Order: sequence, then C-alpha cells, then structure tokens
Amino acid sequence: AIFAPAFAQQYAFDQVVIEGNQRVDNATILGFAGIRRGQALSQGGLNDAYQGLVRSGLFQTVEIVPQGGQLVIRVQEYPIVNIINFEGNKRLSDEDLAGIIQSQARRVYSPSVAEADAAAIGEAYRARGRIAATVTPKLIRRSEGRVDLAFEITEGRVTEIERLSFIGNRAFSDRRLRQVLETKQAGLLRTLIQRDTFVAERLELDKQLLRDFYLARGYVDIQVTDASAEVARERDAVFVSFAIREGRQYRFGGVTTVSEIEGLDAAEFGALSRVRSGVPYSPVVVENTIARMENLALRKGLTFVRVDPRITRNDRTGTLDLEFALVRGERVFVERIDIEGNTTTLDQVIRRQFRSAEGDPFNPREVRQSAERIRALGFFSDAQVNARPGSASDQVIVDVNVEEQPTGSLSFGASYGVESGIGVNIGFSESNFLGRGQALSVAVSTGTDSTSSSISITEPAFLGRDLSLSLGAFYNVTSQKNAIYDTANVGTRVALSFPVGDVSRLELRYGLSKNTIKGYEGKDVGGTIEVNPTLEAESARDGEFTSAVGYTYSYDTRIGGLSPDRGVVFRFSQDFAGLGGDAKYISNEVQALAERKILNEDVTLRAIFEAGAISPLGGYSTRVTERYFGNSKIRGFEGNGIGPRDTVTDDALGGNFYAVARFEADFPLGLPEEYGISGGLFLDVGSVWGLKGDVFDADNNPIDTGFNPRAAVGVSVLWDAPIGPLRFNFSKALKKEEYDKDQPFDLTISTRF
Amino acid sequence: CGARTQERSLDSYTAEEIYKQGELELETGRKPEDAIRYFQEVERLYPYSEWAKRSLIMQAFSQHKAKEYEEARSTAQRFLDTYPGDDDAPYASYLMALSYYDQIDEVGRDQGLTFQALQAMRGVIEQYPDSDYARSAMLKFELAFDHLAGKEMEIGRYYLKRRNYAAAINRFRTVVQDFQTTTHTAEALHRLVEAYLGLGLNAEAQTAAAILGYNYQSSPFYDDSFRLLKGRGLAPEAQGDSWLSQVYRQMIRGEWL
Amino acid sequence: CAPIFRNHGYVPSDVDLAQLVVGKDTRDTAAPKVGRPSASGLLNDTGWFYVQSRWQQRGALAPQEIDRQVVALTFSESGVLQNVERFGLERGQIVPLSRRVTESSVQGQSVLGQLFANVGRLSAGQLLDN
Repeated sequence: AIFAPAFAQQYAFDQVVIEGNQRVDNATILGFAGIRRGQALSQGGLNDAYQGLVRSGLFQTVEIVPQGGQLVIRVQEYPIVNIINFEGNKRLSDEDLAGIIQSQARRVYSPSVAEADAAAIGEAYRARGRIAATVTPKLIRRSEGRVDLAFEITEGRVTEIERLSFIGNRAFSDRRLRQVLETKQAGLLRTLIQRDTFVAERLELDKQLLRDFYLARGYVDIQVTDASAEVARERDAVFVSFAIREGRQYRFGGVTTVSEIEGLDAAEFGALSRVRSGVPYSPVVVENTIARMENLALRKGLTFVRVDPRITRNDRTGTLDLEFALVRGERVFVERIDIEGNTTTLDQVIRRQFRSAEGDPFNPREVRQSAERIRALGFFSDAQVNARPGSASDQVIVDVNVEEQPTGSLSFGASYGVESGIGVNIGFSESNFLGRGQALSVAVSTGTDSTSSSISITEPAFLGRDLSLSLGAFYNVTSQKNAIYDTANVGTRVALSFPVGDVSRLELRYGLSKNTIKGYEGKDVGGTIEVNPTLEAESARDGEFTSAVGYTYSYDTRIGGLSPDRGVVFRFSQDFAGLGGDAKYISNEVQALAERKILNEDVTLRAIFEAGAISPLGGYSTRVTERYFGNSKIRGFEGNGIGPRDTVTDDALGGNFYAVARFEADFPLGLPEEYGISGGLFLDVGSVWGLKGDVFDADNNPIDTGFNPRAAVGVSVLWDAPIGPLRFNFSKALKKEEYDKDQPFDLTISTRF
Repeated sequence: CGARTQERSLDSYTAEEIYKQGELELETGRKPEDAIRYFQEVERLYPYSEWAKRSLIMQAFSQHKAKEYEEARSTAQRFLDTYPGDDDAPYASYLMALSYYDQIDEVGRDQGLTFQALQAMRGVIEQYPDSDYARSAMLKFELAFDHLAGKEMEIGRYYLKRRNYAAAINRFRTVVQDFQTTTHTAEALHRLVEAYLGLGLNAEAQTAAAILGYNYQSSPFYDDSFRLLKGRGLAPEAQGDSWLSQVYRQMIRGEWL
Repeated sequence: CAPIFRNHGYVPSDVDLAQLVVGKDTRDTAAPKVGRPSASGLLNDTGWFYVQSRWQQRGALAPQEIDRQVVALTFSESGVLQNVERFGLERGQIVPLSRRVTESSVQGQSVLGQLFANVGRLSAGQLLDN
C-alpha cells in the first residue's frame, strides 16, 4: 500500500512506503510514528517514530529504512486475540481468572503479557494454598491474523498443614496456642476447612496473634523469634513450627494518677481506673482506662487533655507500676472537616453529627464518638473518620469517608384470597428521604376484608436544632372471617424529642385515636358456640376515643458513655390517657439494658429487663387493644402465647402487667469473617398477668390471672444478611402453664435495643 | 438467543455496513444501546481498521448519550490510547471531561466528580488549545469551578446559621480569595459582613462591605449589607417570614437557611 | 431538665497574652506565643481574631450563646503588633441572616430520580412483619 503525501520540505522524503500491515491501516501507523504531513525528519525524528511504533505494542518487528527520496516502514503485526478461555480451573471461576489477567479479547496478543498472566494465575492459586498448580498459555491460530489464547491449568492438590508445633512455650500448651492462630492444623474436616491450607503470608499474621495473646496475659517481653515451614517432598504437606521466648509474666503493681495541668484534680480521674494491682498486666485494660479518663475530660469540656501511661518495671517483684499522667496535649486545631462519598446524603446531615466545629481544638475522643454517631444513622455501609495533618503544624484536617447504601424500599403487591377477594398493597419507606436524613414511610394495603394505611414522617433536626419531630397517622380496619372480632382504629400521633443531657434524651408526645371492637360472637368449638364473657363485654363497648399525652426519658451510654467496651440503657415512659376521650388510664413502661464486651471484645454479654403496667382510672377497664400480650418480648412462645387465657375458646386475654428478663451472650463461631455468622445463647424469663376483678371463661369457671413466671432457654444463630441482621432462635420452654403455646423455632430481626 | 443469531449474520457484512447500521440506529432508535452493540461489533470483527477507529469514538458518544458515563469514559480513554494523534482525539478527551461534568450533583453532595471534571476540562484546554472543543471546555470549566465555590458557600452558611462565626468566616474567606472569578464572591462578602458584625468586629465588616460595594455595586447582596450596616431592617424578600412558612420552607422544600 | 453546655473555639489565656509586647512583636514571633488565630481579617492578614464561646441548650429551646470572648490582635502594614483587644458577647449583634442564596447553575438529579436511585435494600422488616 503506497501512501504519497506531498512533503513540501526541502530535504524531507517525498514518499512514505508502509509494508507488511494487514489490519492496522496507514493513518494509524503514521499516528503512532508521529509523522505529520510536511514535517522535516532528522535522525532523532526517525528514532522517535521507531519508538512510537514499538510502544504501540501492535507490531512484532518494526523497521524504518530511509531509501533515497522514500521512507520505508516495514512492520510485522502481532496477531489479535479473538477469545480467551481457561481449561482445568475448578477452584477459581473463569470470571475470577479474567479479572487477574491483562490480556483481553479484541486487543493485541503479546507473548510477554501472556507469560505475566500465567504467572499471575499461578500466584492466585499459591495464595489459596495450591503450591503445586501449573499454568501454561497456549495459542490457537485463527484466520486473518487472529489467535485464540487458552490457559491450561493443572490445579494440583491443596498443601495442608500436617502439624503445627511450638518450641519454648512453658506457660501454655501447644493445644491452647493452636486455638489462638488463624492457621489451623489439618484435622478430620480437612477438605472442608480452608484455613488449614498453607499460605505464607498468614504466618506473619499468626506471629502477631501469638504476640498479642501473650501480651494480653502479662508477658511483656514475649518474642516470637521464628516461624519456619518445611514442605514435604510431594509438596502436599507442610510442617510449621513457631519458636517462642516467653519471658516473665508481669502483674500490675501500684496504680497512681497525677495531674500536670493546673486546676485539674487527679483524684476524680483516678477513680475511673479499671486497673487492679496483682492482676496480670494487660494492655487492653490500660487502654480502657485511658479511654474512660479522656472521655471524662471531654465531658467536662476540657481542651487539649491527654492521658500518658507511664510504666516503671521492677523485675525483682515481677510487677509493673502504672502512673496515669494527665498532661497538656499540644495545641492542635481542626482546620477543616471534609466529607466525601456522600452521593445521596446531604453534607450537613453528616456534619451536624460532629459536636466540634471547624477551628475548634482537636479532640480525638470527640471525633471517634462522632464517627459512632454517623454510623448509627444507618445510611452508610461504611463510615471512616480519620484525621490527617493540615496546612500548618498545629492544624489537622478531619476526613470523613462514607459509602452510601440504599435506604429506601418500595413494595408493590396484589393478593387474591378466595374469601378475602382482591387485595392491593403499596408501601414506600425511606429512612433518608432525599438525603436530608428525614424518615418517611407511606403504606396502603386494601382487601375486601381488611384495609390498613399509615403515613409517618420524622425530621431529626427540626428548626435546625437537635430536636426531632415526628408525625404519624394510621387508619386500619380488620374484619377477617377467622378472627374472633373485628377492629377499626384510626388515629394520629405527634412527638418531639430533644437531648436533656450528654447521653440522655426526653420525648414528649400526644396521641389521639378511635378504637372500635365489634362483631364478637364467640367461637364454634366442637359444634357449640362458646362465648368468652370478657371479650363479649369489651366488644359491646364498640368505638372508644383515646386521647393520651406521654413522655419517655431515655439514658443511653453506648455511644457517648465513658467506657468503650460496655454500655447501659435505661428508658422510662408514661402515657396518661384521659385528656378527653373515653379511655382513662396511666400506662407505665420501663426498659433497661446492661451490655458488656469481654475476652478482648469478641464476646458480648447482655442483660435486658422490661416491664409494663396499665392502671385504669375512675372505673375504666382496659380492653384487649390496650393490654399487654408479651409479643416479641419473650422467646420460645408464640404471639399471644402466654398470659391469662380462656381455655375453652382458646382466646388470650392479655394482662394489665408484664415483666420480662432476657439474658443473652453473643460469640463468634470461628467461621471466616465474610460469612457474617455468629452464635448466641439466651435465657428468657417473664410473665403477663393481672386483669381487673374476677374473670370467667366460656363455661363460667374462673380464669387464673395471677403472676405465673414462664421461662425458656435456647441457642440462636445470628446472620448479618443483606436484608438486615437476622436471628434464628431455637428455644425450649422450661417452665410454662399447660395452656401456653410454645414455639421451638422463630426467626426475628435483631433490632437495636 | 436473539443476539446470538444476529452476531453470526454480522460477520458477513463489511465494516462500513455495520458502522452505517450503527449510525442509523443512533439517529432513529429510541435507545442508544442498540447502536453501541453495532459499533462494538465493528471493532471486534475489524479491529484497528479505519472503521474500527470511527466506531470507537461513536461508541463513546452513544454510551454518553445513554448516560452510561463510566463506560463512555473507558471507551474514550481506549480511543485516546490507541489513536493518540488522531484528529478525533480532542473530541474524545472532551467527551471524557463531559461525562464527569454531567454527573456533578447538588452542592450539598460529594463534589469528587466536580474535581475530576475540572481536571479533565483543563486537560482538554491545555492539550488541544486551538480545537473548537477548547472553547466549550473553558465554559464548562468555569461552571464547574463556580459549583465548587457553591460547595464552600454551603458549608459556610451551615456554620453561619449555627452562629459559629469563626468557622463561617474561614469558609467565606476561602471563597473570596480562591474563587474570586465565580458568581459566589458577592454573597461571600455579604456573609463576611454578617459574620464580622455578629462578632462585633465592625471595622472588618466595613472593609468587607466596601469591597462588595466597589466590585458588585448592583448585586442584591450589597443592598443587604448596606441595610445591615445602616441598622435598617433587611429587604422583604431577604427577610425570614412567618414561623410556619419558615418550617414549610425548611422541612418540606429543603431550603434550610 | 439540666441544660447541656458546649464550648467552641479557643482564646489564648491572659498569661500567654501578657507575653506579647505591642510595637515589638511581629506575626512570626506572636504565633508561637499565642497560637494560630481561629479567624483573620480580610485584607492581607492585618487582623488576627481568636474566638471562644460557650453555648447552653435547654430542652427543646434553641441553643443560646451564654459567653463569648474575642481577642483581636491588629498588626500594622509592616506586620508589627499595634493593638491587643479583648471583648465579649456585648459587642456582638444578633444579625438577621439574609435568606438569599446564589443558585448554582448545575442541577442535581430530579426528586423522583433521587427517590428511585436510593431504593434497593429490601428491608428485613417487610419480610418478617412479626
């Protein structure tokens, strides 16, 4: 193909001849060579043109030969990759491998890149413990200078760790140390468990885990000198051994707190110390105490206060004396708070979680608590807050990096039941409406026998203050055939909540609703209609208005509290019904939680106590819509499963009182992190009791409405599923009344208390 | 299964026919996706040919039209890698900058894309100064830069509303010093007057108002500053109105100032 | 219910301020003694301002600034310290903020666009409406 542009230069070539190119056309070759029409070419220019063509990676060989008035460019093209495929890969899927390699379909084939790809695939298999894997790239010629690239893979067997041994460990047995490591010794389930495969990088992690294990038990001089691995001849077994020098175990000696800041008394801070002398030294306890002291300084509004732990060793007694020094930290200010990644949430919704503004003194504890508050919003799958040096030595820039997650859900549905007829339900709920942090939910569902609709909106920063306003309205009518009575209630609710202390909030609310119960004709039990007198009386009262004002005081130290590893929650609420309307009662509820993380924050112990009491006033007697049933308060029992019950018509009547205690422990199951599965144990005790006056069942014998405690114990599996944190509870009722309805298995959402 | 059969039939067409089909699809078809597929076929069947080059740039254009911004960017980048010296290169790099620009979001949200748009636009202006895309890149550069100033103002107003005057002053000074050419400078100067007055630094407030008056005589913000300094009330539309309409404006319309 | 207090900003203590000598100290010698200003004047750094304020929030009411200290260091054109002034809340004015906002030319997504962009996670609450 001859290409003859008219070069007007005095001594330049008047013709450029390009030979050997089948697919790449001349304009592209000239583009790479950087030769433009009418451009003089020196020797350097020729060299650049040559380099340009080589760098393009399109050509196997490139020659540039000036022949008198002509410039000849002779090229031999690399073939183009048509398709890439992998043979023999079982453990790694084609997509995984495609992600690793550089060569791509429709691009130029280059042998060096193919070799590098083979090495990369080999490396991927080695990372999964298959040292013996081999990868060879193969070429299959196609028409018109195109080739197919195939990677032939022989994965080979997994090299597992036959034996994990330790040298120099006196204080702890080999078996105890093996539990500490991430790598496991190949046992019965060798094919299943992946962590018994030998991976070199994991040895470094194991050395660190061993060091932390010893440090947490007072062995301050611990050294893991070596981690050696010998590979058996057939390359499928490895013997790993760790050499340890333990040194002595040190215990806590004297503990003192001293203040080097004038006007700051050390005693108040010293009281927070968790360090008990005589106990083996542990860095976690020291860090905990520092956190508590610095949180107290934050709460008292002190600036630039830092706690320095000064340790003095006395080897004779094997103890470490600890002195917590309150020192004046250096004067560092927050230059800017930069918020990135908020593609949906507005900047101010995140910025208002910070209690310090730009230009304020920098306090690491405050920034950490703000990070917790940002995560507690629930809008982000990940929120990282860290400080980096600012434009001056005494300035710091706080970087907030968030990753949004969808917070809205839209549900459509149409249902057709033989008796209930056609039903349509539309629901839209969004906890971060238009990124303003407002929560909005609208739900309408209609059917021939039941319609329910509700709307609620919450503005967390009403009038720009830390003042949350929520408004709600609902309209529900149920008249199913199999239910024992029809209900209709419609109402609205308004609530304001604001902080009344560093970790406490107060909510004031008013609710007005009309509740109707009607159409109770009893139940057909074995041919005869059995009627429960209580329900019949209540159903006769038809519609009643409830107008109630109420408040809830809540105290929650889990975020703003002093110590990071434990938390206490206490909520007390009262509702006074009787501001007009028919219902007259005072309903009181108390909820308390104590939570603690132990065994360096792997296991969480939790004790929850909830109780409620409705005391009717002035001759008013409660109805089934107001009484407590203990639903989802105690596990191991069905909804309406406990409490006073008419055994003849099998209707639960609920009670004016309920009290429940739940003791839980959550712990890891040792499965890899990414599964998000952990285990739990629980013991639930509680009861629902108390109805006004004597209550009779359908056959006119009295119903026991006394306090009979129920208890259930069980195991649960917690799974952090994509649709939310789920909890599968397997329970056994230890103590129950014979008429109660227990439920050995149920699935609940583990909501935040 | 439709795509499978169509693929085989395309092998028999020449590059030009498939390219023309793609162009036709782009003008007439509702969704640009079909056009993209044709252009991809040209590139697969006749790689590195003249038609492959033209279809690569057309592919980037149709992906941009289909609002598939990431794909449009990677296709445009691939064009620039394979045909650096081509006379369509300015258009490809302008298309890349445009894909960032079209994704810029409200001032309240992350402005990472605005930064990338600015850099990409500057790349177009510096690399291809005399191409006709440089002029529209300059225009888009100004708008993106103005948008960045808007972000600083948004944060400044946040602190001003909470009466953290020092934090607000720093943000507004950044706008006055680093974003002088933008449309926000007038408002920044007025906010500085408000903040300095709030702190009681009347001399600084006078200076800020003087600069505002000198450079932005006709801006409504100068009128607000003037009234503030003279102690007269704000102009009606600048003033807050009744409590209830303020709640409506802040909570429903999202104008939180 | 008990009010909540919150401090913002920083003002050098009297001890630090006493080290400054009017007429002799320049910007570079003043900074190490009293630290960097939280805000500064508009024209080439002639004014350094330190602001420290204490806020009180009582229940649902708007937070009030109950105490503010402002220290103003003014430097001459040549950068020599001319005057050290300390005053409080009394000189500040409650300034009505103008509601006018400069509209940016770039429009974000439409309301509906934002709503549907954020829909995705099927919340567990809907599946198990227990």
